[in-house]
Amino acid sequence: MFSRWNWVACGFYLMLNICSPDASGGLVQSCGHIIPESPVLPLGSNFTALCILNESCLDFGNIYANQIIWKVKNRVVPKEQYREINRTVSSVTFNDTSSLATPLTCNILADGQIEQNIYGITVTVGLAPEKPKNLSCIVHQMSKSTYHMTCTWDPGRHTFLDTKFRLRYSWPEDIFPDCIPKGVNNSCTFHDVHFFVNTEIWVEAANALGKAESDPLILDPVDIVKPLSPQNISVIPEVLPTALKLSWENLISHSVIRLKFNIRYKILGDTNWMEIPAEDTASHRTSFSVQGLRPYTEYVFSIRCMKEDGVGYWSDWSEEKTGITTEEKPSKGPPIWRIIDASHSPASWTVHLLWKALRPFEANGVILQYEVTVRDKSSLSGPLKKYNVTSTNHTLQLPNGTYEVTVIARNSAGASPPSVLLIPANNSKGPVTNLRTLPKHDKLWVGWTAPNSYVLKYVIEWCLVSSSSDCIIEWQIAPGNVQGIDLKGIKPFKCYLITVYPLYADGQGSGQSVKAYLKQDRPSKGPIVQTKKVGKAEAVLTWNHLTVDEQNGFIRNYTIVYKTIDGNETVVTVDPSKTEYTLSSLTSDTLYTVRMMASTDNGSRSGPDFTFTTQKFGKGEIEAIVVPVCLAFLLIVLLGVLFCFNKRDLIKKHIWPIVPDPSKSNIAQWSPQVPAKHNFNSKDQMYPEGSFTDVSVVEIEADDKKSFSEQDLKPFDLLKKEKSTSEGHSSGIGGSSCMSSPRQSVSDSDEGETTQNTSSTVQYSTVVLNGYRDQTPVQVFSRSESTQPLLDSEERSEDHAGGADSTAQRQQYFRQHGAQDETNTDRPCFERPKQITHADEGDLVGFVQLQFSGQSSQPLGLGMEKNIQEAALSNVFQTSTEGQTLRPETVEENPLSVDEMPKSYLPQTVRQGGYMPQ
Amino acid sequence: MAAADSPSTALRRRDLCSRGIRLAGKMRADVVDLLDAYVERQGLDASASVAAVEGVPLAAVERWDEQTGTQRLLENLAAYRAFRALLAQMLEEQREQLGEADAGLGRALAAVLLQVSAFTYHLEELLRLESRGIPGEEEDGPPPPPRLSIFEQKLRGLGVLRELAQWAVRSARDLRQLAKPSPATGAAPGLPESP
Repeated sequence: MFSRWNWVACGFYLMLNICSPDASGGLVQSCGHIIPESPVLPLGSNFTALCILNESCLDFGNIYANQIIWKVKNRVVPKEQYREINRTVSSVTFNDTSSLATPLTCNILADGQIEQNIYGITVTVGLAPEKPKNLSCIVHQMSKSTYHMTCTWDPGRHTFLDTKFRLRYSWPEDIFPDCIPKGVNNSCTFHDVHFFVNTEIWVEAANALGKAESDPLILDPVDIVKPLSPQNISVIPEVLPTALKLSWENLISHSVIRLKFNIRYKILGDTNWMEIPAEDTASHRTSFSVQGLRPYTEYVFSIRCMKEDGVGYWSDWSEEKTGITTEEKPSKGPPIWRIIDASHSPASWTVHLLWKALRPFEANGVILQYEVTVRDKSSLSGPLKKYNVTSTNHTLQLPNGTYEVTVIARNSAGASPPSVLLIPANNSKGPVTNLRTLPKHDKLWVGWTAPNSYVLKYVIEWCLVSSSSDCIIEWQIAPGNVQGIDLKGIKPFKCYLITVYPLYADGQGSGQSVKAYLKQDRPSKGPIVQTKKVGKAEAVLTWNHLTVDEQNGFIRNYTIVYKTIDGNETVVTVDPSKTEYTLSSLTSDTLYTVRMMASTDNGSRSGPDFTFTTQKFGKGEIEAIVVPVCLAFLLIVLLGVLFCFNKRDLIKKHIWPIVPDPSKSNIAQWSPQVPAKHNFNSKDQMYPEGSFTDVSVVEIEADDKKSFSEQDLKPFDLLKKEKSTSEGHSSGIGGSSCMSSPRQSVSDSDEGETTQNTSSTVQYSTVVLNGYRDQTPVQVFSRSESTQPLLDSEERSEDHAGGADSTAQRQQYFRQHGAQDETNTDRPCFERPKQITHADEGDLVGFVQLQFSGQSSQPLGLGMEKNIQEAALSNVFQTSTEGQTLRPETVEENPLSVDEMPKSYLPQTVRQGGYMPQ
Repeated sequence: MAAADSPSTALRRRDLCSRGIRLAGKMRADVVDLLDAYVERQGLDASASVAAVEGVPLAAVERWDEQTGTQRLLENLAAYRAFRALLAQMLEEQREQLGEADAGLGRALAAVLLQVSAFTYHLEELLRLESRGIPGEEEDGPPPPPRLSIFEQKLRGLGVLRELAQWAVRSARDLRQLAKPSPATGAAPGLPESP
């Protein structure tokens, strides 16, 4: 119990001692302290600290040195580094201060467990300053009487401590205020500098660990001066046109420092400076006359200075100042050339004299005018013509001849030497040979081989060849002893035409020309190709040459690339002079894609793709097929016609068998039924109007129907209907044609077809008589030997016999083939439609009867027949509908045959095939 | 002057003379500039006549060309020691009168004072080379100046500067004379002729 209270009292006392103000007036009365107090230690050295406990704490707190724990920044220092000196003092030793950190604290374990801090110190570790090295100074002239001396040095290694540097400056008997660097540790500037006294300058560096001084620098500050550059420079022209006088102001008194100078100059616009020899300006001065300059040239000058003895520093170059030398007469005459235009008149020339403006160093001033003199050399008494020109060209109208032209340039200082050009009557002298060009960077070198004769000089003409502008001639004169010249201002990718003329003492040679490029490029566009002609296996391609502006170089060749959609490319190279090329061995009826490329030395450019399709047939192939086929067809038709013509009797026999005329039959002769009362002479009496029905002769075969399909007949449906209606009031025709067919007559009515199907090949003939004038008609039957099928109209008339209207309207005729045969034998079949008749315009309605022969013996001509029939039908139909009536020649004859007919016939039985033609 | 100079002594004398001449030239230029500023700042008339300043030896002297080198050096040393004291007094009076209001004039005065001090050092070094003892400053120094009014101080300052300008010219000539090669020491390179 006592022990517990004792420890509590001890802890309370310890806290009280630490936290309460001490007797000496401090805030804290510590139970101990550390020696040394906040030391600054050299980096890498060893260090020992002592913690000394107060005696008072020993008595009340039972605290002893063996309870001390050392800590470096909350890290316990190993016990091995501790040493208990006595019961109140403990030490700790560090062999290397680099392992130290702040703070270093002395702590104690109260009551064996509670750690209490007794004291702490701050440890600073660093390095002593090194000796500053490389001290150097320079004196800058700031104004006319103000100089600043700036010294720099190497401060040495980093010390990790606050190190002060001071630049010191002293005379033998005076020490000036130190210069303290601000913000830096390696330079400082004195603002009060005095010359002509040896001055000692040194640097001191000091920190908590030591102090170091640099080696002293003993110098007279005047020897390290960098003066200000000369000011207020003026450039004044001298009397000589090749000299300029420079004047300036020195900002440093010659009584203080004598100076020497450097003068540099250049032509305005040049980049390279020239310098006056240093020995010419090695003494103090305020002016200098620069000689050896070009007349009338603007120069730029700049000056710098330094101490005359060369000790110190050069000033900066002064600001640049310009000046112009005075004029001098031109040093040479202007280069002259001419362009002769003889197109206007054969007897005179238009001479364009051209000369070049002198270059500045040749003109030596402003050229005021040119004096042109023209002398006719062909006549000694010819007047001397003078012209004063301000431009660089002059045009003269001169008769053909030889002239000497002189040009003089004049400025304010005088005239140039004359330039002479001889204009001969003709250029018959020898030309240069082997004219060639070679690009050299941005220049085009033109070379030639000189003629054998002595050449005074050469004139090189060149112009830019362009399709958009004229060739503007530029020219240049080269001395006679050269065989090549560089042309400047040549643009790349442009074509130039270069001509070289040799000038002799007594005339000039003819010009030699060459085209050249300074630099070539690929063409700016490709040729546009198109086809001129396309065949089955070949195509002729054509294109236009690229313009010279588009070429960008010499076109070396054209390349044609063509291919089918899925085929391989074929490449053809074409000579650049060509504008047409024929592609051969192409596949017929195939789409080809063609692309054309123009190539220069530096590349190629393709034009747009072009496509074409070869033809399916070659030239004449169609004709070779069509013509023989047509000829064969015509031949067959012709043979057919001939055959028909030769066998016409046989054909007629099969197609148009002769129908016996019942009126001429034998039975008519012997019939007892023919009374006298019926022997009328008058036609009207025998056959009153409307007393006869039509008689149609139809031959039907069962196979016929199959020969014509429904479709074949369809075009006639309309016609059939028309006929069907017309048959209601008209029936049959007496005649027939080779175009007509009995079957058609039958097919006019479905009923007829039915009948036909059943009646088949029954041969019969029926004569129907109406009663005369309301009298009961006498049915007279006359057997016919005809094998014609029963007429539809006949059946229909029977069917409608009771109909009064139909009976009344029906116009009945009897017509025999036999009569027609006689009249139509020699007529062509195509004329048959003319046989369509109207007996009476007032009573009869026109009709058409078509007879198609299903047994055509001319199959080849069927189509044509059909067509012709259709055409005929169309014509007839139109004619009919328009109400026009065709009156065939046979119309007059039919009634006659009717007149001859007996009124009645007796039926006659005839065996099939027993018919005997009459 | 010593009868025989070693080469190093001759070089040293030549160097001292050379720099002394240029220092005298610069000092004269600075004093002339300072005179203009001083007259303007002190409100004086540049053409004002000033009596001879007490304690300042006159630069003008009869039979100048008959003086020996040592005599020249001693006269110069006495004069510049006097100028150094007078200029220091002027600088003090100027600070009292104008304070920091005219720091430029004070800096110019201080600069001239430093040049006078430096020239004095040159003279002392030359005298050492002559193997002559340097007279003590106290015995050759000017007597303490009497208490003057401000205007009198200004006029005296003007007189000091004018006389200093004169002495600068004379000192340059004296040093040039000293730098001339003596028959005993042999030929020495010529020195700048100006000022």
